Amino acid sequence: MSADVELNNVSVTFGSFYAAKSVNVKINGGEFFSFLGPSGCGKTTLLRAISGFQDPSEGSVLIDNKDMSGIGPNKRPTSLIFQNLALFPLMSVSENIAFSLEVRGVSKGDRQKRANELLELIALEGQGEKKVHQLSGGQKQRVAIARALAVEPKVLLLDEPLSALDLKLRQRMRTELREIQKRVNITFIYITHDQGEALTMSDRIAVMNEGEIEQIGPCDEVYNNPLTPFVATFVGENNPLFGKVKEINQNKIKIETPDGDFVSTMNENKKLNIGDEAIAFVRPESLFLPRDGDSFDNLIDVNIESFEFEGNIKNFYATLKSGTKIKFSIPNAIDTSLISSGTKLQLGFESTKSSILPKAQLAID
Amino acid sequence: MKSTYFINFMMGMYIFIFFAYLFGPLIIMSITAFNSAEFPSISPWECFSFRWFNEGKIAYDGQHLAGLLSDWRLHDGIISSLIIGAGVVSLSVPIGMAAAIVLTQVRSQLRDIYYSISIMPVLFPGVIIGISTVVLWDRIAGLGGDGFISDVGRNGIFLTILAQTCFISTYCFLIFVARLQRFDQTQEEAALDLGATQTQVFFKILVPYLMPAIASAAVIAFLFSFENYNTTVFSILSDQTLTTVIASKVRLGISPALSALALTIIALTVIAAVTYEILRRRSEKKYAQSQEIFVKEKAASGRINKEYKAGFKVPKGIVAILLILVFATYAATQIVKNDLYGQSCIDAADQEKKSKFLEQLQTLESNELTEEELSGGSLGGTEDYGDIFGDPSLFQDFGGFD
Repeated sequence: MSADVELNNVSVTFGSFYAAKSVNVKINGGEFFSFLGPSGCGKTTLLRAISGFQDPSEGSVLIDNKDMSGIGPNKRPTSLIFQNLALFPLMSVSENIAFSLEVRGVSKGDRQKRANELLELIALEGQGEKKVHQLSGGQKQRVAIARALAVEPKVLLLDEPLSALDLKLRQRMRTELREIQKRVNITFIYITHDQGEALTMSDRIAVMNEGEIEQIGPCDEVYNNPLTPFVATFVGENNPLFGKVKEINQNKIKIETPDGDFVSTMNENKKLNIGDEAIAFVRPESLFLPRDGDSFDNLIDVNIESFEFEGNIKNFYATLKSGTKIKFSIPNAIDTSLISSGTKLQLGFESTKSSILPKAQLAID
Repeated sequence: MKSTYFINFMMGMYIFIFFAYLFGPLIIMSITAFNSAEFPSISPWECFSFRWFNEGKIAYDGQHLAGLLSDWRLHDGIISSLIIGAGVVSLSVPIGMAAAIVLTQVRSQLRDIYYSISIMPVLFPGVIIGISTVVLWDRIAGLGGDGFISDVGRNGIFLTILAQTCFISTYCFLIFVARLQRFDQTQEEAALDLGATQTQVFFKILVPYLMPAIASAAVIAFLFSFENYNTTVFSILSDQTLTTVIASKVRLGISPALSALALTIIALTVIAAVTYEILRRRSEKKYAQSQEIFVKEKAASGRINKEYKAGFKVPKGIVAILLILVFATYAATQIVKNDLYGQSCIDAADQEKKSKFLEQLQTLESNELTEEELSGGSLGGTEDYGDIFGDPSLFQDFGGFD
């Protein structure tokens, strides 16, 4: 049982401040959908609007094609997992899980049965009598999920539930969340500022900035073809090269920068004309050291400043002729012992692996 | 290391003086309860006796000095104090809780104003609260003629409950505010989101969370009510509470029965505190045992270095307890050695006092004043001093004082 969630032109204002501005999005039933954005971008506000804790100032929230205005959070077919989990500390694990059944007047036996089923789902069989404070961080997480699933909601809302966990646990919980979603097959709406989380778990993501949605799409599309400089720099890392549009062919666009001319494939809905200020983006992993016989659409001269070892890759920091700083990474498997600070190199990248976008706000600093 | 010893010594002295200051009067008063003399005292020590806990005594001159068991005014006072205490608890705890919950809902500048108004009753003098309650209810009682309202409005116990609740509910309010400040409001939201109604959220989430505050607010409200004097003395009207009874006794001269009462109250308090502490430690131990397995696992994995031991520990207060025991034994042996206990001692003391009294009576009789001396003697006691205030007929103009 899953339900579509539709936000029609939803705006939420606090005084004269727009926490969310004209948000339009349709989330399909059974989908794992993420809102991704920096803190304060309005994603939690949207989640509260869906769960019923916040009335939209404009627009409407539709769940299962039903307008939710005037329906309180306790009457909506949604369950929310809070950032701090908000487990009830005075109750045992089972009581926590069965709370939603208790307030609906389900008998004690049935409650216990359902709690045991859910404990099995989250692999915590036989631990129902424990108190919440006796659980570890990951176990608490799973109890919160079980508690939210106890009433069989049509939509599960998750407000950065993994942010308090350490890295290893976070990675394991990602996989687990995804598996639970497949097993129960309901709509998951996930909120995060961690692009790694969003990309690994979601079917589609919406990138938000200052209350507005910048781009909606499947993860790879958002990563490979960002529509705005904000998305390009917020999702993954990107090197911006500032310049002016020099040439436009059918599907190629050329930009002139102090460090040379670069070509990129043009994707639709980009309103660029010759002479416009623009930014070319190229990701650190798309910059290559040319070997004999390689030919690249774009070449760029760099002067290595420093590098750092990250394990699977090595990151190099370099300056261009104009003084612009860029970063590129090379897999550890490739021998880079000859490169050190002060080395002058020529790097290459493909036009399909870079994007040229109209100049606008970046996500970095 | 000399200076460390000196500092430790000074610290010990300081602590001793501090506790002597705190508990000295209580200890002295407790001891006086066992002295058979009519006035609470330690020296001169008459006889060791429990009479002030029982029947008291009938003095050689026929005056009855009631003991704790036989003093019906004290009993009435205690009963009305208990009734008032229960009434105050059942009113001020819900009022304080409601006020504190409202405070969490108010945001904006109103919050400060609301808070100030809420704590204001604590700042009013208790006397004013008492008097104003009486004045108000006297008016209300006068409205309806004879009947229920008039009876209630002039019932001292009812008025005292209302008057004390006025300011005691503020103390409860402060206790609840302190607890609510640490309340995680997302728990309420989580409960709502899971389908609970507002009423269910209140009874299943908020009230269990506030339980410790409810308990301590109830205890504090009861104690404040029990010991209150300055509000009660006005609002109690013709009834009496324990405090007003004691106050009126002080006016007539106190008897060691009050010491006996004080000792009883102290003993009850200590027993309650010790029981609470024992229960608390027991539950703590239970929790520790549940954690023990966890700790042992950790110890096995080498994360905890020391061997984990759960065993009996010598209580730290043992020195104090031993000191008290030694002192009590010494006092007891002194009393036994000097034959300062039992009926024979009391009889002897009474006999001695009676003969002294008779002696004084005789002296007085032999020194009896003559008629002349009684009527003023050479001072001219019969003379009229009326006109030293001016014209003696002045006050007669409006009928004089009556």
